[in-house]
Amino acid sequence: MRATRRHLLLDVTAQRKDTMMTIVLAALDTTAAARPVLETALRFGQLIGSDVQAVHVGGGRFESIETPESLAARSEVPFRVLEGPVESALRAALGAPEVLAAVIGARATPGGRRPVGRTAHHILEHTDKPVVIVPPDAIVPSSFRRILVPLEGTEASSRPILERLWPVLAADVELVVLHVFTDVTRPAMVDRPVRDFELLGREFLTRHFPKATGIELRPGPVATRVAEVCGEQGSDLIVLSWSQDSSAGRAHVIGEVLGASSVPVLLLPVTPPK
Amino acid sequence: MSPRRYRAPEVPDSTFEAVIFDWDGTAVPDRQADATAVRGRVEGLCRAGVHVFVVSGTHVENIDGQLEARPRGPGQLYLCCNRGSEVFEVTGKGPVLVSRRVASTDEDRALDRAAEGTVERLRTRGLEAKVVTQRLNRRKIDLIPLPELADPKKADIDLLADAVSARLATAGIADLAEVVALAGDAARAGGLVDPRITSDVKHVEIGLTDKSDSARFAASWLAARGVTGALVLIGGDELGPIGGVAGSDSMMLVDAFARATVVSVGIEPGGVPTPVVHLGGGPARFAELLDGQLGRRAGHRVPQIDPDPAWVVALPNVQAKERVAEALGTLGNGFAATRGSREEDGPGTSPLFLVSGVYTEDNRLVPGPTWTGLELESGHDRSTERRLLDLRTGVLVRSGNDGKGLRSMRFVSAASPHAMALRAEAVEPCLEPGDPLRPPGDTVDFEREDRGEVRMARTGQSGHEIAVATRERVGTVAGRRVVERMAAWAAGSGQKSFDDAERQLLEVEAMGFDQLLAGHREAWTGRWTDAQVVIDGDPEAELAARFSLFHLLSAASDTGESAVGARGLTGDAYAGHVFWDADVFVLPALAAIRPAAARAMLEYRIRRLPAARATAIGLGLQGARFPWESAGDGSDVTPRQVIGLHGEIIPITTGPHEEHIVADIAWSAARYAAWTGDEHFLAGAGRDLLVDTARYWSSRIRTDAEGRGHLFGVEGPDEYHEVVDDNAYTNVMARWNLSQGAKFLAKTDPASPEARRWLIQAEGLVDGWNSERGLYEQFAGYFDLEPLLMSDVAAPPVAVDVLLGPGRVAGSQLIKQADVMMLHHLVPEEVVAGSLGPCLAFYEPRTAHGSSLSPAVSASLLARSGQPERALELFRMAAHLDLDDLTDTTAGGLHLATMGGVWQALAYGFLGLRAEGSHAPRVNLEVDPCLPGAWSALGLTFVFRGHPIGVHADHERVGITCEKPLLVRVANGAPKRCEPPGATFSLTSRRNERTP
Repeated sequence: MRATRRHLLLDVTAQRKDTMMTIVLAALDTTAAARPVLETALRFGQLIGSDVQAVHVGGGRFESIETPESLAARSEVPFRVLEGPVESALRAALGAPEVLAAVIGARATPGGRRPVGRTAHHILEHTDKPVVIVPPDAIVPSSFRRILVPLEGTEASSRPILERLWPVLAADVELVVLHVFTDVTRPAMVDRPVRDFELLGREFLTRHFPKATGIELRPGPVATRVAEVCGEQGSDLIVLSWSQDSSAGRAHVIGEVLGASSVPVLLLPVTPPK
Repeated sequence: MSPRRYRAPEVPDSTFEAVIFDWDGTAVPDRQADATAVRGRVEGLCRAGVHVFVVSGTHVENIDGQLEARPRGPGQLYLCCNRGSEVFEVTGKGPVLVSRRVASTDEDRALDRAAEGTVERLRTRGLEAKVVTQRLNRRKIDLIPLPELADPKKADIDLLADAVSARLATAGIADLAEVVALAGDAARAGGLVDPRITSDVKHVEIGLTDKSDSARFAASWLAARGVTGALVLIGGDELGPIGGVAGSDSMMLVDAFARATVVSVGIEPGGVPTPVVHLGGGPARFAELLDGQLGRRAGHRVPQIDPDPAWVVALPNVQAKERVAEALGTLGNGFAATRGSREEDGPGTSPLFLVSGVYTEDNRLVPGPTWTGLELESGHDRSTERRLLDLRTGVLVRSGNDGKGLRSMRFVSAASPHAMALRAEAVEPCLEPGDPLRPPGDTVDFEREDRGEVRMARTGQSGHEIAVATRERVGTVAGRRVVERMAAWAAGSGQKSFDDAERQLLEVEAMGFDQLLAGHREAWTGRWTDAQVVIDGDPEAELAARFSLFHLLSAASDTGESAVGARGLTGDAYAGHVFWDADVFVLPALAAIRPAAARAMLEYRIRRLPAARATAIGLGLQGARFPWESAGDGSDVTPRQVIGLHGEIIPITTGPHEEHIVADIAWSAARYAAWTGDEHFLAGAGRDLLVDTARYWSSRIRTDAEGRGHLFGVEGPDEYHEVVDDNAYTNVMARWNLSQGAKFLAKTDPASPEARRWLIQAEGLVDGWNSERGLYEQFAGYFDLEPLLMSDVAAPPVAVDVLLGPGRVAGSQLIKQADVMMLHHLVPEEVVAGSLGPCLAFYEPRTAHGSSLSPAVSASLLARSGQPERALELFRMAAHLDLDDLTDTTAGGLHLATMGGVWQALAYGFLGLRAEGSHAPRVNLEVDPCLPGAWSALGLTFVFRGHPIGVHADHERVGITCEKPLLVRVANGAPKRCEPPGATFSLTSRRNERTP
């Protein structure tokens, strides 16, 4: 299955031709966060077998010693400037058929309170394509090899990852599932923890992600446990599916994960775009 | 039944196990016809294992003289003659009378009066009729005594009906129905209480019996062999009404045959009632039906089940629940079991074949060769499939609905412990047999050997091996590929296991699939006889309870020793290890519904006494210290540590500290003896289970300066509080154990100083009773813990240690499951009188029910304490625990202890059964029902002191059936004698808590 990497992250409804070049879009701004965004895009492109194209929406105050263009040039990445309001320009670029995913910076301001800026948030809510959110202080590894996939245990949240992401991943990736027991998902009964957690984990994987390398079961707040396990596992990338409904509880969790994560977070839409 | 017009002649695509048919007009055109062809078909059906019942109004000489069948089995032929009054079994030597309804002199006179009265009443109306025959138990009145209609043919029924109608009209009689009503009035006036009035148009007959009696005989005889409802084909030619009177053959449609296929080959001028299929065509058409059945048998077509909703569980058909379905659909006979995996298995499935007691060297059950595999055409559509587990007969059937005609049936024989069989069919080329024996993953050695057509495979190592031998028959019938696989297993070592498996296979093959299935069905019927559960008003609960009992009955063998693991043989979870689940939860149920299996479970413990004694010595103690987890050799196989949810290493405390299992095993031995009355057991083989365990406690107790005994560093059933001192459950059970042990020592040596010492120790052992609070304290210091209630945290059931963290829970009064309350459940005579209610009121709100063992015990105690509605909530939780995969771990196997708890909740809780009360005079059985409003009645059958007992209670009364006199105490009333076949007792007083 992994050989069919060109059947990328788009839904089958996109009906993209196999011969078409595929692109991961790196949205570079004029801050220091542009560098990890570009690096993440390169690693992500490598992970899913796509080329990278850097874009910058014109205007803005330069806070970095490098311009987006020079940054892209140094990495030999094609670069183009988009015109118009930032959100609509980026959404238009992301909507191009050859574009499979976008990589954007995380916060409105480095260390800011909100995990994702208003523009990025709108893009996330309205695209049917995967978007990687990069923390401004992310340390990007030379390649993505250890991926953490928090799953809540519903078919709707597991399916995009299993059907859209898994087939395109590089073969040597380790993918660890994390299932957090919350007030909603906690087990009803655990007879003997030594036996039952092994059983619960095995069955969870079989039902929701049989391809995974392993599973971690943790109780507690989801975002905290995601950060905790991410650190323990040395994960390079966190993958979350979401319903694109900011009012839903899952979106709240995603906000917390984005706020707490030190590694890039790939968001996969569950439902068709609004 | 409402008459209906002709409908398309459809007969289900079914293989029937029994055929019941009318003779004249259905099997033969008339009584002079040549029946040679019918004879051949009847003998052929019997040869194929089909049971045949010929039902007729005439006498046996007429039928047998015409049919002359002499079948040699295995199917049996019965002639049900004289309109329900006689039954003959036809052997190789001819008909042999089985039963005859003999009219009393008074009944004969009443029949005469009825006939004469009928003739007189007709005469009064202006119709001349006459009594033409006085047959056995009936009188026949000719309504149209004309020479030209002396012996009308069945084919001329329309003409006859017209003639009779015209004749009746001349007398102002509307139709035959009016004649029948008139005859009924005359019969009752003549003194008949239950007259049976029938008419074949020409005659009206008044009798004591009719064809419904024949049908009831057949239904009862067949049910005892597991042949019910949809497995039966009924044929007749007078199933519809004529002249407003129900056709005589419609009397065969008794309630027991509500799901039978019923066909009429008659003319049926008045149509046929639902659900009769009107084929028409007379005896020739009926012969075609019989030929169809013979063809199905010859073609080895897949048999059917009776899809009785009260007995059939539909397995989940969604991919995520695939392994849950496999566990639910496990078929076993106590010796071996096969999960209900789809034949093509594949990713996301866990097919498994296990043999009880065969463990690997590292103490896991050896997975045997998978013998149920088939190859199905890729792209096979599962979405419309149904997989049905028939609890009544212990078979699993599968049927597709995608046009491929896929059907399969499998079973693990309840009659022949080593035998298994599978049949499957599908439209060509959708089905191929493929490799009949497949390796069960890569965790065990797998070796093959073929001997001619016999294919064999073996798993395991060095004496812990499972061999399976198979032979297949593959054929094509009517465009369908049919695969029949007979299989046999053997456990042993090396080549011998192959030899044994092959030998077993030859025995299985000698029987053949159909006979193996017939024996299996009959064996299951026998098992259910002593394990019936009926819950009137709550079919869902009834089915769930039967599901529990089905797997309990499948869990343990009835000979040798039986190691019943926490998940039995239904999955690989818990590695087949044996816990207290077996002794305290499963065994009490089996002691009542399958005593021999309970005895085999105790034999498992008895044979591991040497290991338990060695463990005690190793600990510097005496007696026998049974392990918390046990496998093949009786050593402790409890894991020592586990990686926690935060990656930390957590020592497992159950192995060294959950010592109550020592007393639990002693208790199970005593419970077995109390219910079965097997006095020899405790005097012989079981004695050491009581004595050596008591000796262990004697050496384990520490006495303080004030002379009080303590058990320090133990763990009770509530595993949220791991290592505690003086756990009330452990201490009281140890006290009980010491007392019982002393009693048995004193039997052989009344002056035994050891027995005296044990009694003193028992007396001095602290038990946690707090007289000020009127409660037992679960362990020393428990009352000082944070007084959390479940209402403060979450609604049970919940693994509250996961939710709050083990440390927080250990510091609180929240408990995982019944702990103190287990004492009220197991040894009510050991606890302070009147303490059930207060303890339940205190501990139940603190109980998370975070253990699968918990809900059923609480249900039982709540019912006993007069809270049946709350009890029902917890009962449902327990009964549906696996059916609804409440724990998300059913995929790894079924929770047998919960299933045992389900029976205990029904028996001890809702029915309030208790063996041998302590009141004087001694009572054999106490019954004190307390039913929830949703249940109109609850009934159980079981074996008590070697005799079958039935208890059926509603909200007003209790009915008890017995085969021996029984002293019973109902609802805490005075003891009463219950004489066979039984008695009904009024529930005049409501329950109060029993006092010791």
